[in-house]
Amino acid sequence: MSTWREHGLSAALALLVLAPLLVVATAPLHTPAPEWPYVGSTLLPTYLLETAVLISRTVLLALLLGVSTAWLVSANDFPGRGLFRWALVLPLALPTYISAITFSALWGPTGTCSLWVAEHTGLHIDLLTPSGLAYVLALVLFPYVYLPARAAFSGGMSAQLDAARMLGGGAVRRAFRVAFPLALPAIGGGGLLVAMEVLNDYGAVRHYGVRTLTAGIFRSWGGLYDSGSALRIGGILLLVVLLLMLAGKLTDRGALRAVSGARLRPVPLTGLRAALATTYCALILGAAFLMPVLALLSDAFRSSNWTSALSFLPAAGNTLLIGVLAALLTLALALVLSYGQRRTRSRSGLIAGIGYVVPGAVIAIGVMSLAGWLTDLTGVVLIGTIALMVYAFSVRFLALATQPLRAGLDQQPTSLDEAARLLGASPLRTFLRVNLPLLKPSLLAAALLVLMEVVKELPLTLILRPFDTDTLSTKVFEKARIEQWSEAALPALLIVICGLVPVVLLDRLLERKR
Amino acid sequence: MNRSSLPLLALSLLSLAACTNKGGADTTTQPAADSARVVNVYTHRHYETDKQLFAQFTKETGIEVKVIMADDDELLSRLEAEGQNSPADIIITADAGRLGLARQRGYLKPVKSAILEAAIPAHLRDPEGHWFGFTVRARVFAYDKNKVKPEELRTYADLTKPRFKGKVLVRPADNVYNQSLVAAMVAHDGPEKAQAWCAGVVANMARDPKGSDTDQLLAIGEGQGEVAIANSYYIGKLLTSDDPARQKAKNAIGVVFPDLDGRGTHVNISGGGVAKHAKHEAEAIKLLEFLVSDEAQRLFAEGNMEFPVKAGIPAAQVLQGFGAFTPDTLDLAKLGSNNAAAVKVLESAGWK
Repeated sequence: MSTWREHGLSAALALLVLAPLLVVATAPLHTPAPEWPYVGSTLLPTYLLETAVLISRTVLLALLLGVSTAWLVSANDFPGRGLFRWALVLPLALPTYISAITFSALWGPTGTCSLWVAEHTGLHIDLLTPSGLAYVLALVLFPYVYLPARAAFSGGMSAQLDAARMLGGGAVRRAFRVAFPLALPAIGGGGLLVAMEVLNDYGAVRHYGVRTLTAGIFRSWGGLYDSGSALRIGGILLLVVLLLMLAGKLTDRGALRAVSGARLRPVPLTGLRAALATTYCALILGAAFLMPVLALLSDAFRSSNWTSALSFLPAAGNTLLIGVLAALLTLALALVLSYGQRRTRSRSGLIAGIGYVVPGAVIAIGVMSLAGWLTDLTGVVLIGTIALMVYAFSVRFLALATQPLRAGLDQQPTSLDEAARLLGASPLRTFLRVNLPLLKPSLLAAALLVLMEVVKELPLTLILRPFDTDTLSTKVFEKARIEQWSEAALPALLIVICGLVPVVLLDRLLERKR
Repeated sequence: MNRSSLPLLALSLLSLAACTNKGGADTTTQPAADSARVVNVYTHRHYETDKQLFAQFTKETGIEVKVIMADDDELLSRLEAEGQNSPADIIITADAGRLGLARQRGYLKPVKSAILEAAIPAHLRDPEGHWFGFTVRARVFAYDKNKVKPEELRTYADLTKPRFKGKVLVRPADNVYNQSLVAAMVAHDGPEKAQAWCAGVVANMARDPKGSDTDQLLAIGEGQGEVAIANSYYIGKLLTSDDPARQKAKNAIGVVFPDLDGRGTHVNISGGGVAKHAKHEAEAIKLLEFLVSDEAQRLFAEGNMEFPVKAGIPAAQVLQGFGAFTPDTLDLAKLGSNNAAAVKVLESAGWK
């Protein structure tokens, strides 16, 4: 099969995924924005500033939490290490908006914990603030740093670390001068994911009153009734993302490559050090996962009888069905794009991943506009079908699937392909018999990541779903919108449970790979 | 692999399309005669009462009600994208501004109904029948009974007095009820006066705007402020809640209906209209008429703490306890046409 055809296929698929985003990016050409002079000059500077502040705070905190915990559980041994090693991934199962709102119900100005502290110590705590939001987001999102950092520390750099130790480098020096620089691409990639998650969050920023670009999109759209301006802010958001991705490439280039495949032997900690390490990990796990989940549990017990949990079964079924379909389609697209990139160095796959940072509601506008045009042309009605929802999810989450697949393919030396070809296998046969079987863990990881995100996703689901089709997240939304938090607790818990399965499986998978 | 993966992809897409039809937009493909027993609703309202009402409607008329519930702006975008292929028969939102916008963009069609016109006061429906309000909410003050005398809070302007410096609680400016209150002020007296009021409120705020309406009420319970701007509906919900965490606020709160320069208290509606390309217009009108029946109005009042639009149907007990009030009879379509101005006024006044 000729290279240009593969290029063509990659480009065509990338275009399929990018089309809704192109609708957004080309908004100035087709959607008038009567309020843009006002939005651009008055609102935009505030939005940019508050976005920059929130991103830097959150990413810094997430790096701090993610790298420190990953280093502790990879390079050291202390009581509870085995538990923390996997449990520190759990916060990923919590959607940011659920975590943020639960957190504010505990630590906001009238939060249960804040009031308790005030009563006993006279100290008034209020974390329903912009910096409080950064804490919450970092607590939910740090596993995005923790996972790749842990993987980088655990495998691949034991030779360098041993060398450093023999040369007399102390523990701190080994960490800062050898391990962290070596893990920089992994850590940087994780930080990038955190930044992207912050960029596309809307539920949490709205509750905390922080005006990010995404909040600006909704204020222009819903407040100023100007979807043209909303789309233009969406375009600026895309630019910000491109800049972030460029920055990501820079950290990539400066990094040293790990060579040894031997697993790192952890150094046992004793006494005070061991106690400190255990306490530190326990505190983070408690704040990031146990506290919000316990709060949800107590709300759910108080406000719901458990038979009402059964009424959420159809919604749970829909959630899983849509999630699995979305994971399959996304995986298929990602596979073609990543394999195309391996064979032709095509960049299509990389660019196609940009949908990951675009707020779901904005992707929904793009997808709906496209589907509307298609209906005008052909008469086929797509809006309100599960097929369109699944497509939209692929647009949104493609990057999550391509990343593990690319990493997986990169680990297969091209000499494998060449050997198969020399033995007379066609490219197709080579792919099916050599590359694909070796890729199995990455495929599973990719599918699980997409599944996990679809379970948590709200805005796309809300607007694109067919009549009378509920998912768990729309159930949460129903109650949350009318400020009945305690009634939202039960479906929220179910989301967490649905999310836990892929998160835990994912963690197992990454561990086995090492 | 490309040759083999493409059919695979196509196959999976096809099977996706196949499994969508059972719940989805079948109304556009079915012949008209067959589809006469259904009405498709796009709604922003997400209440148990609405579900009960739709079920009751189906029981009484045999007409099935299919629902999509999402945020109103997104529903309007979906209507825009669907154009004349839209399966929507009725559009329902909890904001008159959005109804005005939907009319202006041509998503609604005018309908005549003696029942609707008799049940709904003229200022709570579109003069040409594009939309009809079926419940009312008031933007009122909740105050701390231990610290504030209700006489101190007769008008919205009272909130800006030095007496309430550092005592005012309110949620952020991107909330639609704040926007529609300010839009009403802009509609009555122009943006300058509205901005002066907003700036006065900002100067008196107890803290940066944050959280929900309910959060403001809870803050009164904790003595973090003395007066909150809130929606009557949320106050009703709080005062009937048995959540132990809400008892302090429940005991502390009194309610006044503030006056807007002699015009009454600012109100907004939940309402709906028939979609421009409705394929079940008769059923849609029937459903709207059902929503203003005594039975439905009573359920809105009792079950959901909203003020019924129909004369003779009492509000919920707890809302009656707030006393009688005079609603501002501003043409509600003006809330929509002044919403953008309101957003700018709030922003310039520094209301976050």
